[in-house]
Amino acid sequence: MARASHPQAMTPHRPGSTRTAPPQVPDTFWSQPRMRTYLLFDATGIPYLVLGLIVLRVAVALGRGPEAWQELMRDFSNPLYLVFHAIALISVIFVGVRFFRLFPKAQPARLGPIKPPPRPVIHAGLYAAWIAVTLALLVVLGGLWP
Amino acid sequence: MAPETGEMRKRTFVVTRFDPDKDQVPKTQTYEVACRPDWKVLDALNHIKDEIDPTLSHRWSCRMAVCGSCGMNVNGEPKLTCKTQLADYGEVVEVEPLANFPIVRDLVIEMDGFMEKFKSVKPWVIVAKEKAAEEGPNRQSPEELSAFKQFSMCINCMLCYAACPVVAKEPHFLGPAAIALGHRYNMDSRDEGAAERNEVFRGEGTVFHCSYANECTEVCPKNVDPAAAINQAKLNAVVDWAASFVVKRNG
Repeated sequence: MARASHPQAMTPHRPGSTRTAPPQVPDTFWSQPRMRTYLLFDATGIPYLVLGLIVLRVAVALGRGPEAWQELMRDFSNPLYLVFHAIALISVIFVGVRFFRLFPKAQPARLGPIKPPPRPVIHAGLYAAWIAVTLALLVVLGGLWP
Repeated sequence: MAPETGEMRKRTFVVTRFDPDKDQVPKTQTYEVACRPDWKVLDALNHIKDEIDPTLSHRWSCRMAVCGSCGMNVNGEPKLTCKTQLADYGEVVEVEPLANFPIVRDLVIEMDGFMEKFKSVKPWVIVAKEKAAEEGPNRQSPEELSAFKQFSMCINCMLCYAACPVVAKEPHFLGPAAIALGHRYNMDSRDEGAAERNEVFRGEGTVFHCSYANECTEVCPKNVDPAAAINQAKLNAVVDWAASFVVKRNG
């Protein structure tokens, strides 16, 4: 059994002399494990959208003064917020890992005379930069520096 | 299940059938086949055609994963049937025509749409001025060759089109193999047609439709890595677009 793909998928501009059946995909096309991972990757856009709205709320609360800020902090202790932030963290890690896996091979073979380093080096560099930026943010936001 | 006789093992093949003269939509037909353990999926299809049902239509030629004509969906995944071991599958093997292509008959797909996309990326060496024979051959160093060699290994089997979720939804998308081949010529040190191809890459079937699902690379039987080619082509197409404001081009 199969599902329909786009009716014009891979259809030539000039139809041939033989009648053809419309393009289709197997029933399992969207549920294969790799495709599910890809769809999950795309779905992480939803937590990012919500996270963006929360950041806007934080900015508004900051502008309104200490009372609004205290109210926001009370709201953030709600378990729903905590669950959402856990989902957002998992989304970020998932996207980061997938992006870092695919990023090195998307690099140009060379930039003028400069040849990019081997893929494992790019890969390791991305993780090193990620960890460094995360630690720097934790240090600054945690009040340890400056 | 124990083998029936000697090393033979009985399997059920669920095969897509479509006769354009009779059928409105494709249907499936089931065949029981006693298979040898070393058979590929293509061997079973050839057995069905030779011994059970001569009306079954499917494409094949070289039987060594070189010609690229025997691509089909096997249990939902695009495969070259001549290099797909039956031993890797269970009792039931579902064989369908390649996904995302119009079906001409049974397991045979319409290739003209692919050929149109293929031709649109100008897959040949373009030079501003042909070199005279007495000037000698165009030389290329091993390092220059390595910049594109991987992308030249494509056998046009179209498995990448059957696996691509963007091809399934965006009929204008140039698709993995065509872009990989266009990129292969853009990276060729002997070629001077990158600007022309980059215009195609930024045009109707733009490379930017690609959402980097990486499925094309996962199913490629020749390790061409079309996803890498497409994403390298994206950057090149942007750089070329930006450069067009600075550097005047002929024509």
